[in-house]
Amino acid sequence: MAFKLKQNTVAGALGTVGFFAVWEAISRSGLVNNIMLPAPTTIVLSGWELLASGELLRHLGASLWRSLLGFVVGSVLAIAVGVAMAQLPLLNATINPLVQMFRAIPALAFVPLAIFWFGIGELSKVFLIAWGVFFPVWVNTYLGVRDTNPLLGRAAASLGARGWRKFAFVVIPGALPFIIAGLRVSLSVALVLLVASELAGAAFGVGYLIQMSQQVFRVDYMFVGLIVLGIMGVVADFLFEGAVRRLLPWYGVEKSLRGAAGNKKERKLAEPAA
Amino acid sequence: MNVRVDVSTASAVQRPLIACHDLGHVYDSGRGRTVALDRVSLTIQPGEFVCVLGPSGCGKTTLLNILAGFVQPSHGEVLINDYAIAGPSPERGVVFQDYSLFPWLTAKANVGFGLRMAGRPAAERDAVASDLLRQVGLPEAGDKYPFELSGGMKQRIAIARALATRPALLLMDEPFAALDAMTRASLQTRLIDLQQRSAQTILFVTHNIAEALVLGTRLIVMSPNPGRVVEDIAVDLERPRRRTSPAFNELYDHVARAIGLDTAE
Repeated sequence: MAFKLKQNTVAGALGTVGFFAVWEAISRSGLVNNIMLPAPTTIVLSGWELLASGELLRHLGASLWRSLLGFVVGSVLAIAVGVAMAQLPLLNATINPLVQMFRAIPALAFVPLAIFWFGIGELSKVFLIAWGVFFPVWVNTYLGVRDTNPLLGRAAASLGARGWRKFAFVVIPGALPFIIAGLRVSLSVALVLLVASELAGAAFGVGYLIQMSQQVFRVDYMFVGLIVLGIMGVVADFLFEGAVRRLLPWYGVEKSLRGAAGNKKERKLAEPAA
Repeated sequence: MNVRVDVSTASAVQRPLIACHDLGHVYDSGRGRTVALDRVSLTIQPGEFVCVLGPSGCGKTTLLNILAGFVQPSHGEVLINDYAIAGPSPERGVVFQDYSLFPWLTAKANVGFGLRMAGRPAAERDAVASDLLRQVGLPEAGDKYPFELSGGMKQRIAIARALATRPALLLMDEPFAALDAMTRASLQTRLIDLQQRSAQTILFVTHNIAEALVLGTRLIVMSPNPGRVVEDIAVDLERPRRRTSPAFNELYDHVARAIGLDTAE
């Protein structure tokens, strides 16, 4: 098994290196215009140039700030509304059709409207990201709170859980796995809306960098922007997963059990060699 | 709430802990009415270890749910220490078949949950939880989460959790049914020890005749359609009870006949 794992790693590395080598060769061969398809090495150098001048960090900073603010505002509102709707049937009956209607409209379609209303400044971007983040988090929170495990509810009641204590120590923790799933989906939604809103007009931001580079024929800078967005997505997911594992060790039990079993096997395999 | 004035201050007559009067319960499903309980009257004295035995559908779980306060009876009433039961309360601890531990809490926090709900300070919760974990034989498991524990360990934690609020009555709903035979036997022994040391009043629901005969000081046999009590037997077999002793087998046959089982098998 260890051999096969190594084999897969080698194959993956070869595939990746091969891809970039072929790309490099095509760009430098003269078969295609190397302004349209800059070589990977050119892109790395351009990226370094943007980084050294501080321009890239300013774009990145603007994008990160918007995403974070939109993500926090959208998820806090979504959790509050989701919890309230699950707890108050009348409120649920009143606003459920509205929320369902807005949920059906792709959030990207709101970009022109948001810019018309809020201009091309920060407000329109934070609004759009918060709007997109809201729905996945809302629906998961609502379901998580509504479908509290009835047996745990009985156990809690027989132990004297009532009122705010029941809510804080039973209902919310029980709904957390759902809420976390919603938040994770929303991470990628936030990134999509960030780029869409920056493409539609901005003064800074990674999406804006891509847009402006197109207008001045700097395809290499466009690629730098794409790579930065990719890294943002990966790092956000990595940080989120790390935070969940640290704060909620009981969450994702199956995964950790599988991990433990895997480790044991590895240890067994390693022992005879040592 | 129905409040009665306690006039029997003298200890002449032992006052029952639990008194059920003419208890009835009917489930109305779309396809018709099921009489889960029909005119059940019984009293339980403090310190009794009552096993309620019967096949599925005999109303034993309905009876437990009414005593726990999860279900309101269709008619009749239940008094605990002369007060009518109005709903779930920590004075009646419950142990469920599927453990029902809070997965987001450590074993110690699960055990301390009832005290936390009562607003007791952390130091007290900690002391009580540590003591109970020792009593159920899991002094090292305090910081573990339920997913790290085996079924038998989880059920010991669940018992400790139900005992933490010092309930007058401990209700157990087939708590060992999902465990393997060896774990079950070991938990039965622990429960007997615990009950004998603390004189905890227990109502233990099971469909296993041998389990009921090993554990209880009293056996209530129920039968289905409609759910009612058919036998109420004092079990005075000497402890430790041997499943192979003639007295045990005689009682076993008697109970098996009472619930309509062919004992020739």
